[in-house]
Amino acid sequence: MPKQPDSPKPPRTPGFVHAQDKLAFLLSLVPYLLDRDRVSVADAAAHFQVSEEQVREAVRLIAVSGVPGETSQYQHGDLFDIAWDDFEQSDEIQITHRVALDDSPRFSAREAAALIAGLQYLQAVPETLDSSVHSSLMAKLARGSSEEPSQVAVAKSEANAALVTIRSAVAGGLQIEFDYVGSRGAREHRVVDPLRIDSNNESWYLRGWCHTRQGIRTFRLDRMADLTITSNPNLYRPGDLALSENLFDGSGETLGVVLEVHPAAVGLLGEYLAEGTPQVERGAVVQATVRVAHIHGLKRLIASLPGIVRVIDPPEARRAVHDWAAEALAAYDDSGADEISSVVP
Amino acid sequence: MTETRGPAPVPVEERLFSLVLALLATEAGLTKNEILSTVQGYRQRYVFAGDNASLERQFERDKDDIRELGVPLETIEPLDESGNNQHLRYLIPKGAYDLPADISFSPEEIALLNLAAMAWREGSLSRESRHALLKLRSLGVESIEPVLGYAPRIRTREAAFDPLTDALGRRVLVRFAYLKPGDLSPRERTVAPLALVQHEGRWHITGIDQQVGEPRTFLLSRIVGPVTRTRIPFENDARGTAETALRQLDEIWAANTAVVRARPNSDAQTRLVNRRGSIRRPDGDLTLHYTDLHLLADDLSGFGPEVFVVSPPELRAAVRRRLELTVATHQPARQTAEEAGRAETA
Repeated sequence: MPKQPDSPKPPRTPGFVHAQDKLAFLLSLVPYLLDRDRVSVADAAAHFQVSEEQVREAVRLIAVSGVPGETSQYQHGDLFDIAWDDFEQSDEIQITHRVALDDSPRFSAREAAALIAGLQYLQAVPETLDSSVHSSLMAKLARGSSEEPSQVAVAKSEANAALVTIRSAVAGGLQIEFDYVGSRGAREHRVVDPLRIDSNNESWYLRGWCHTRQGIRTFRLDRMADLTITSNPNLYRPGDLALSENLFDGSGETLGVVLEVHPAAVGLLGEYLAEGTPQVERGAVVQATVRVAHIHGLKRLIASLPGIVRVIDPPEARRAVHDWAAEALAAYDDSGADEISSVVP
Repeated sequence: MTETRGPAPVPVEERLFSLVLALLATEAGLTKNEILSTVQGYRQRYVFAGDNASLERQFERDKDDIRELGVPLETIEPLDESGNNQHLRYLIPKGAYDLPADISFSPEEIALLNLAAMAWREGSLSRESRHALLKLRSLGVESIEPVLGYAPRIRTREAAFDPLTDALGRRVLVRFAYLKPGDLSPRERTVAPLALVQHEGRWHITGIDQQVGEPRTFLLSRIVGPVTRTRIPFENDARGTAETALRQLDEIWAANTAVVRARPNSDAQTRLVNRRGSIRRPDGDLTLHYTDLHLLADDLSGFGPEVFVVSPPELRAAVRRRLELTVATHQPARQTAEEAGRAETA
């Protein structure tokens, strides 16, 4: 098994798209460079998680920038200056003259709000159980913002006790085991090396090496029961195996299901709709084909979005959704009708 | 070489960076004319004693871009010449620009903030969180990676999220069509937005509904069509409204209960037992809390025959209606939903 590093980092900036993004980088790079006195292009790029060329480009711009000055002519003393020889010959940066700017900028109202709401959301993560750490950090962000942070808040997400157990298993280098109920409804015992915790709003997932299935699998934390730490050392540690960005990769799956969905509701298909899934507009609705191993997970989603999404093809998939709902309905009919049911609203 | 062709154009980021530097360096402020005629990126296009209208519009847009980054670009009106905007002076007060010197972050805090920013890796706040991370990294603190890796994600799938966060920042009224469950058609609402909150995985906007003059909370997923941002400003101290909105949603959640029966060892049972606040009753049934009956009905319908609603009757009826609709829209033959409906009612 090839071992690839996979420490989940914030996304690498894929080159700056907007001039505003470049400005944010310039305003952040200057105080960093002044603080370091001398730093290699490689180190600066690694620290900011940008490419080395992005750093070089920014340094070249900083080196010729400045203020109009008394003469309004951008004279030499009115401009930043760098140690050019070191920059050109050994890829090292040292600012030798600075103007106007030396400190880190404050956050905008929206930036502070994004970080504060992100922290609220992360209160579920064991690393951050100490709520005093949290509130002091949020207070610092609010104080470091140039305006009152925007009122955006996320309720603390419930990551249940499983996260704490999984984290201590990883810390101790041990495997975990649990019962898992898959979407087919079967309950199975699984032995897993935890690799990473992913989340999607209020849903939390474990990505791990499943010894039972001999492969990388994704498990919903709320589908686990009787989770325990074993005494067996794990085979893989976090970072040992490469994980895809997508929680569910349907590209290798064999069953193509054609769905009809209202355009405004396409987002509700979430992870099922991989990027690049072709969508065909048909009048007021959109048709999309999703790839799944079997219909049992998808039928649950379809049944939770009645009148918004429906299965067009294949007929077996259509039938599966129909039967799923019909069987549920039968239970209410058997229980003695407590109301006259209308067939179609 | 003619005046309009001129030398190679100055890149936008160079013009913006030069404007920030010039406005940080000035203590008395610069007039618009001083800026346009002397600052790099403008001066190349400035026409002395001529028409600079397009350059002035450029300056207005640049100011917005810079302010959006949280740079306090201020305007001073000279006391004796109010009303004449040719004499307005622009500056960035250094004290309001710099991150306060006593604010520092530990490697653990940086690691946590990296995760917080990462949670917004898609959607409308992703650029803001990337900018915030650049600013944090300017402090030069390396982060400590947590024992177990995390890849958190906050979803903002609703199209209304973007215009609403924007209106929130600008403190202007918004208009949107809102479809209440049970209503046949959406009704237009005009709202002074105060806070956007995510509760139980769903985004809500809290604001003052202008028709009733009282605070109301709306689900973003029930906003139909585009959100119109007006230019009508409103005065309101929004501080703390997000916390209040979350607390109120939680109170509603706590007050509403439903009882359901889940098939033993089914997916529904495992997930509902793990649902926040669910209680297993002595008879095996589960008591659940919820904020919105229709959203709970959606969730429960997805479990199909694995779950049976015991109470309340309204929830039971809502789940039955959903199941009936699913059955009607998935008739075996290649019929349309309408045909299927007719076939059954006939």
